[in-house]
Order: sequence, then C-alpha cells, then structure tokens
Amino acid sequence: MLSPERLALPDYEYLAQRHVLTYMEDAVCQLLENKEDISQYGIARFFTEYFNSVCQGTHILFREFSFIQATPHNRASFLRAFWRCFRTVGKNGDLLTMREYHCLLQLLCPDFPLELTQKAARIVLMDDAMDCLMSFSDFLFAFQIQFYYSEFLESVAAIYQDLLSGKNPNTVIVPTSSSGQHRQRPTLGEASVLEGVEASLFYQCLENLCDRHKYSCPPPALVKEVLSNVQRLTFYGFLVALSKHHGINQALGALPDKGDLMHDPAMDEALERLVVRSRLHRTSRQHRAKEPGAFGFQRREKLEALEREPSASAPTPYSYWW
Amino acid sequence: MVTPSGCSGDDPVRSLSLRGSGASEADAAGLLGRSPAMIPGKYRSVSGRAASNVNCGLHLVIQTSSLPEKNKVEFKLSKETPSFPGRLLQHDLERNYSSRQGDGRVISPSPRNKSSCVSSTTNGTEPCGLEMKTTTSSLPAFGDSSIQTPSKSRIRQGCHSAGPNVSGDHINLVSSSMPSFPILQRSSEEKILYSDRLTLERQKLTVCPVIDGEEHLRLLNFQHNFITRIQNISNLQRLIFLDLYDNQIEEISGLSTLRSLRVLLLGKNRIKKISNLENLKNLDVLDLHGNQITRIENVNHLCDLRVLNLARNLLSHVDNLNGLDSLTELNLRHNQITFVRDVDNLPCLQRLFLSFNNISTFESVCCLADSASLSDITFDGNPIAQESWYKHTVLQNMMQLRQLDMKRVTEEERRMASVVAKKEEEKKRESQKQSLLKEKKRLTINNVARRWDLQQHRISNIAADQDGRDSDSPSQDPCQNDGSTVSAFQEETGSLDSGLTSALQGLSVTDTHLVEVDGDTLSLYGSGALECLDRNWSVQTAGMVTTVSFTFIEFDEIVQVLPKLKMKFPNSLHLKFKETNLVMLQQFNALAQLRRVHQLTVDPQGNPVVNFILWKYYVLFRLSHFSMQKINGTEVTQNDMIMAERLFGILAHVASSELPPYHLISVLGDARKKQFRCLLETKGKKPGTVSEENDDSKRPAGENTNRAALHYTARDLYHEKLEEIKEKKKFCKMYIEDLVKEATEINMKNEALQKLWPQMFIELVRDAVIEVRNKSSYMKLCLRHITDQK
Repeated sequence: MLSPERLALPDYEYLAQRHVLTYMEDAVCQLLENKEDISQYGIARFFTEYFNSVCQGTHILFREFSFIQATPHNRASFLRAFWRCFRTVGKNGDLLTMREYHCLLQLLCPDFPLELTQKAARIVLMDDAMDCLMSFSDFLFAFQIQFYYSEFLESVAAIYQDLLSGKNPNTVIVPTSSSGQHRQRPTLGEASVLEGVEASLFYQCLENLCDRHKYSCPPPALVKEVLSNVQRLTFYGFLVALSKHHGINQALGALPDKGDLMHDPAMDEALERLVVRSRLHRTSRQHRAKEPGAFGFQRREKLEALEREPSASAPTPYSYWW
Repeated sequence: MVTPSGCSGDDPVRSLSLRGSGASEADAAGLLGRSPAMIPGKYRSVSGRAASNVNCGLHLVIQTSSLPEKNKVEFKLSKETPSFPGRLLQHDLERNYSSRQGDGRVISPSPRNKSSCVSSTTNGTEPCGLEMKTTTSSLPAFGDSSIQTPSKSRIRQGCHSAGPNVSGDHINLVSSSMPSFPILQRSSEEKILYSDRLTLERQKLTVCPVIDGEEHLRLLNFQHNFITRIQNISNLQRLIFLDLYDNQIEEISGLSTLRSLRVLLLGKNRIKKISNLENLKNLDVLDLHGNQITRIENVNHLCDLRVLNLARNLLSHVDNLNGLDSLTELNLRHNQITFVRDVDNLPCLQRLFLSFNNISTFESVCCLADSASLSDITFDGNPIAQESWYKHTVLQNMMQLRQLDMKRVTEEERRMASVVAKKEEEKKRESQKQSLLKEKKRLTINNVARRWDLQQHRISNIAADQDGRDSDSPSQDPCQNDGSTVSAFQEETGSLDSGLTSALQGLSVTDTHLVEVDGDTLSLYGSGALECLDRNWSVQTAGMVTTVSFTFIEFDEIVQVLPKLKMKFPNSLHLKFKETNLVMLQQFNALAQLRRVHQLTVDPQGNPVVNFILWKYYVLFRLSHFSMQKINGTEVTQNDMIMAERLFGILAHVASSELPPYHLISVLGDARKKQFRCLLETKGKKPGTVSEENDDSKRPAGENTNRAALHYTARDLYHEKLEEIKEKKKFCKMYIEDLVKEATEINMKNEALQKLWPQMFIELVRDAVIEVRNKSSYMKLCLRHITDQK
C-alpha cells in the first residue's frame, strides 16, 4: 500500500488512478441494489465478500459491460473467466463463427457489444470473410488483444492511417473513436509496391504513444520485439503478431500459454464430477430412493474439488494491479 | 295379339318394320302419315310400364281389327313432316298400339285415301302385275317368316303385298337383261292396289334388284336379305320409307337422290361409319342399331331427325350432336360410352337411353342437367347406377325428369332427392365456410407475416450497428417468410381437415394476430396473440393443450408471458418457435422458468440461433431439469446430455461456486431469493461448507441452482435495468467522491498533525523542564497556587 509512487500524487488522484474508487463505487452500488438482502447478513460481510471477489476476479461474472471494461483488472478477469468457462468448447474441437463466440460472450455478459467481437474476428480472419469458422485459441488470443487494449488499438489504428497517408503522426495523435477508418486501404498501385508501413517508424510512433497513453498498453519492449522482426507491416499484421506474441500474453497474465490453453486440471476434475452427477441425476430420477450412498459420496467429492480449487487459481497474479 | 320375336329390346325399328311388313302394312303406312298428336307422350308413358323391360323379347300387340274403321285419316306426305312419329322403341311401340286404341285416331291409310292423297300412285305403275322371279328359290324361308309373323293372315286379309312370298306368286324377280341385277316387276293389279309400297323381305337377295316403273314407290322393304350395297334405288325419288334391316351393308351409299326419305332403317348391318346422308335433309327416323359405328358424325345437318337409334354400336362417347334440332329420342344403349357431351344442344330431346354403357360418374354426363326438355332417361347397366348417390344425384340435377330407368319418378323420390341435395348443399356451405375461414386465416397469417417483416426491417435498421445480426437478414427474410407462411398454411389445412369442429371453435381471427386451438396445439401468430393468455381458458382446453407454437412474435415478448403460460397451460410440454427472433443462446435461459418442457422445436425461419452448432447442447444444458426428450424432432440421447454437460458444465460450476453471493442474489429471481438467504447465511459463516449446502438445496428445487444464475432478461428490460444502474452509479460516484475527499482531507490533517507532533512534543517537554529547573521557586509557586485556591 505504501508504495513510493503514492507520494507522488494527491490521495484522491492516486485512488482514482488505481481504480480503487471504481470498486468502491461499485461496491456501494451493489449494496444499494440488494440492500434488504445484504443487510440481513451484514454489511461488513458484504464488503469482505465484494473485495474478495474482486481479488479473485469473479466479480465480473454476469455483470454489465460498462463495469467489465471499466478497469484492466476487470478486463483480465473477464478474459480469464471466458477462457475457463468455454475452454471445453475449444477442447471439443468445434470451430465456431464470430456470432457464436459472441453468444458465448453474452452468456457471461448479457450486453457485450457485437462490435468488439467483430473486431476480434477481424484480427483472426484478416479483415475478410467474416462468416468463417475460427478455432477457439485463435479467437481467444485475438480477442484478448482487442478487448484488453481496445483503446490503445484505436490509437494505433489512427497512427497507422496517418502513416499510410504520409502525415507525420508525431504531431497529431488523437485517439478517435472512428474505428472504421482503418479499413480504408491504400490505392491499389501503392499497395502492390509497398503494403503497410515501415516497422521502425511505426515503432517510434507507438513508443511515443505508450509513453503518453493513459490506458493500458503492451510493454514497449515487447512491441519493439514484435516490430523488429519485420521491415514493413500492415495494421492487421501487427495485430496478429501482437495476439500471437507469447510475451504479451504473459505480461497480460490473464490467460495461460497457448500450449496450456486446454489445460485446467482442477476444472476438468470438477467437470468430470458434474458429468458423473448429471448422469446419476438422470438415472436417479427413476430410483432416487435406492441410492442414498451415491449422493453422499458425490457430495464429498465435490467438496474436495472446491477445496482444491483455490490452489489452482492461486498462481494467477491477481494482485498484480494493486 | 302378341308376337314374340327373336329381336332384342334394342331393335325397335326392326320390330316396327317387322310388324309393318308382316302384320299390317297399314300400320307401317300409318307410321308414315301419323301425326304426333296421335301418340301423345302421356299415353305412352302410362301404358306398358310393366312390359317396358328392355331386355325381354319383343312383344307386339297389334290391333288391326279396328283398322278398317279408321280409314279416314289422311295419308299425308306433305311437309308437315316435322310432326312425324318419333316413338320407335319396342316398348314404346307397345304403348303406341295400346294407346292407339284409346285415342282411336290411328291412321291406316285406305287405298282410297292413298289414291286421293298420293296422286302419284297411278303415275308410274307398271302395267303388268307384280312378278317376282327369284333366281334362287326362297320358299323355305317363308315358313320361318310366317312363324315370326303369325299375323300373316291378317296381312293377307289386308291383302298387302308385303311378303313377296305370302300373297302368292304375283311377284316375279326376273333375272334382268342387265348382267347382274335382277329386275323386279309386279303385276299391274298389284301395282294398282299397292302402288306405293313394295316388300322384298327374306328374298335372299344379295343385291338390290332393279325396280322399274315404280317411281311412285314410297315404302320399300328389304328386310332379312344379304344385300351388301345399296344401289339401284336412286330412281325411287319419292321413297319415304326404306327398310334395310338385317342385311350386310358395309357403307351407307346410294341414297343421295332420295331426298324425300323420312325413315331409313339400317339396323343390323355392318356399317362402320355414318356417312353419305348429306341430301337426306328430311330424314325423320334413322336407325343404325347393331352396326359397328365408333363415333357420331355427319348428322349435324339432319335438323328434322326425331329419332336416332345407335344402340349396340361401338361408341365410346357422345358428342357432335349440334344441329339435331328436332331430335326427341336418342337411343345409345349397349355401347361403351364413358361420357356424354353436347346433349344440352338438343332442344327437343325427350328420351335418352344410355343403359348398358360405361358411365361411372355424374360429372361425365353433367351436360344432361342442362337439358330442359329431357324427361325420360335410362342409366341402368352403367357403373353409375350402382352408386348409392346415383338416384338422388340424378333426380336432383335433372328436375325436369319424368322417368328414370323406365320408372316414373315419384314425388316421394323427388322429395328425398331434394332432402339429400339440401344436406349436400349444407355440407357444401359448411365447407365453403371452412374454406372461407381458412382463407381468412391465411390472409391473417400473411398480414401478420407482413407486419413482422416490416418490424424486422425497422429493428434491423435501428439496431444494425448496435446489434449487427440483421446485416444479412433484410435481404433474405421477406422471401423466406413468404415460403414459410405458405407451408405453414398447408400444414394447417391438413390438420383442419382432421379436426374440423374443434379447430373452428378455437379459431378467433383478427387482423393483426391469430390464435388457434387445434386439438392439443395452441398456435399464436403475431404479438397481439399473446394477449390470449390473459383470457380465461376452460379447464378442459387448458388441460388439453400440450403444444404451444409461437410464430411471428418477438422472443422477448414471449419471455414476458411465460409465467402466464406456466399458469394457464400447466401441461404445455412442447414449445415451437418460428420467426421469433431467437438470436442468442442466453435467450433459452428464459425457458427454464417453465414447469415442464418435454420437447422444443425452434424453426430456423427467423431464428438465427439455430444455425449455431452449440445451441442444442446449450438448451440441453440449461434446461436439463426438464429431462427433455426431443429437440427439433430429434430424440435426445444420453450422450447428448453428457456432451452438453461437458461443454457447459464449467460455466454452471463457475456461476454457482464462484459468483460472489451478493451478486448471486441480484441475479436470482425473487422466488429463489428466500431459498438462498439461509444458504447465504451459512455461507457467510462457514465458507468451506458452502458447496455442500448448495447441493442440498439444489435437489429439492427442480432446477439446478448452479444454472439459475444463467438467466435471461429481455433486452428492453435489461436496458431499463442498465439505466437504473447508471442512476445509482451516478449517486454512488458522488457519494464516494465526497467520502473519499473527506477521508483524504482528514488524512491530510492527520498527516500534518503527525508532522507537527514531534516538534510540539519537544517544545512541551522543554517548557516543562524549564519550569521545574529551579526547585525552590517552583515549590513556592505551587504552594501559592494552593493557598490561592483556598
């Protein structure tokens, strides 16, 4: 709590910058929402639970989009929740369309905007054939970049456009909301000769941007790494490279490495139990009275699973932003 | 007197001519001159009904005894012919004769009359007597003929020439000088007596003899010969009656000069085609029965023809009858007729005999209904006569009918027919009403579909950016909708037919929506139809309905009435959605609140969600507490359930075990809140036991609580909620801001104090030390204080 930075800012600004105010506001808001129920089991208890869930990243489940995107922590939590909940879909090997992924997102956040999903799909599909099927991992990593760095990417798009049109972006960097602009392409003749922009120049602009950017942006060193491999690149090329970059994923910390994406033993165990139970549940409808033992056994198993679970999620650096 | 003969009932003309030849020439002549008034239809119909059986042998009742007295009747051959007698059927004959008695006006031309009326009689008579010299001896045949015509005696008495044989040997058939044809000559006596008639019956003639000097002949009889060709008679231009019954003629020919011919009898020959009748414009009776004619043709000019007999031919149908403006009787028995046309073009047709044909439907003879003159018809021996509806249908459609199948149509029958017809009329009206309703329904559904389209367009235009789902649909949807509407309608018609009455009862049509109860299905079209759930449904109906189908209704609107649906139709087990704008998986969450759903059908029409691979699994997962049996008609298997669990189980797990309790409360519906309060309390105290409690409380409840968090709020409501939240947030923000500012201020003061405090402390200590440094003076001071206080 007593980090040296704290002294550099007035208290209020410090709290705001660290999104503490956001959570406090939200906590009070939630309290207001359910005051009858909460007052029954104690306001102190409520606050404890609230901040615990914020720490665990479960506070974003089924919340409205405005809250989910309010803080980087929320975004990372949402990404992680999405991964955990629908990893099985990817594991099953199903390729889905953008709309289906959107539906899955909406299961967690009912008012999740289609626009974001579309943009993420554009990264995977390189801006064309929006009805194509995508694998879960492709979509997830593209979505991570798009969702987590969405404001940053908008600024990048603007810079890219400026570079393309030959303006000096260092003078004017106005992160606009006109996200559609980046779809404009250079004229054909130009494109055939040189597609995209020069990587080094692009990097300079981005570095500049990262310094001044008030939203979260990928670590400049990693951006440099991405850009140093190529001479020229396009906007989507850049995004794809970002989404596939191992280090950025690690820096973000919400998702495991690509290799481990399908790997979540604790959850698998829990799921296995759920499946068994549902099977039993089905049969037990016929002879419920006969098998009291089965349920007792299962309950214990389930309990074990839950106890073990915190340890599975522990390695995640949730307190990273605190 | 009765003369049985071998002729079947189809040979009326033959029988007539037989009579004419054998029994009474006078009759035959009478036939020529008889005016129709003499055989009025009523008599005919009254008499001989019993004897009218068509199939029995020929019965001839010949009343010649009275003939002599009736000689006054003129033998008119004038142009009054339109009134020529028409009745030539055998049974009719019988009637004729019996009735003749009654009306007593039967004409039998007397010689005197003949000579007076037919002035030409004497003109062309041959001086010599009638001599017939047969090259072949035909005598044995006479015996036969006499058997067949036992009335011979009377013929003789009437001294008619008829049998060439009978009356002696006056007739000689001379092998003429001409190479092949015999020449016929009669004695002048004969000629004078019977100048206008000549009978060459059963003469074994193979060709027509040359008949010389008989230009005045009016009646010529070649019955029962072997003539193959009509020839050598072209000079007999006054011929009125020509009988060639039972010969071997293959073609109608050689008649073109016989312009006066009225009666042409060609029964029992080998004619294949009706032809060469162009000049016989005065023809009154044409008998072609027992030939091989396959179609009716070349008769349209016979505007004076009254009787046409085509029985026992090879006709397959009847048409081409126009122009036969005088035809009163048409005999078509024993053909292979399957349909009849054109009969309504016969203005005078009274009797039509269609017995023993191949008519099987009334439609194939429906033109008969349009004939105003038809009074007597027979259909016996046709397939149609076997039908149960035959009699009343015929009677109903032909009110003018007096006789059907030779039986008089009674009033009773007519009444019956009209009753039956009325019933049918009612039925028709009913079905018309049905189809009207159907049509109305169809229109309504179309209307609803149109509105739906419009609405969809609007929504898609508004929400295109916010909710891009409609980016492709506007272009496709309209046509799709049309198709679906039509097909839906067809389905409906099918079911309507099966359960007509119940469907009708439940049908209430308005312009913008449609509610229909058909058997166990409640169908709702258009959002207005949802209001019907507020209606008071009878317990019976409500209990019966197990299928509810929604079409052209926004799913979000349906969501809002689901609680009502649950209450009003406790049995609803099968839900159908079509054109309901199901676009998201989470929308299925809403269905979880129902009591029971066994089957779910989501039509891809207007429900894009069905295109998702995962939708079925999600439904199974989310609605697992229903133990659904079928989804979109496909049986749900255990594997499906497991798959669903595998795909989404974690979601449920996360939702139940990781959702912070305060949020769980707000997510769950009011109904569940209570149930969870106790749970939450325990959870608050002992976090470790939560899951156990959770499981416990889970089982009694129908729905898995770990799924309850997955709920659906209709978009409108959700937006409202978000607005509300926004308001609250604004307040919270201000509140927190104030608090935090206050807190930071306090903090600042506190920090400032902290900063000052050490210095202050030192100062205080120093002051105190300085004060107590001089002990004695300090003591003095203290003492003075004490004394001062006192």
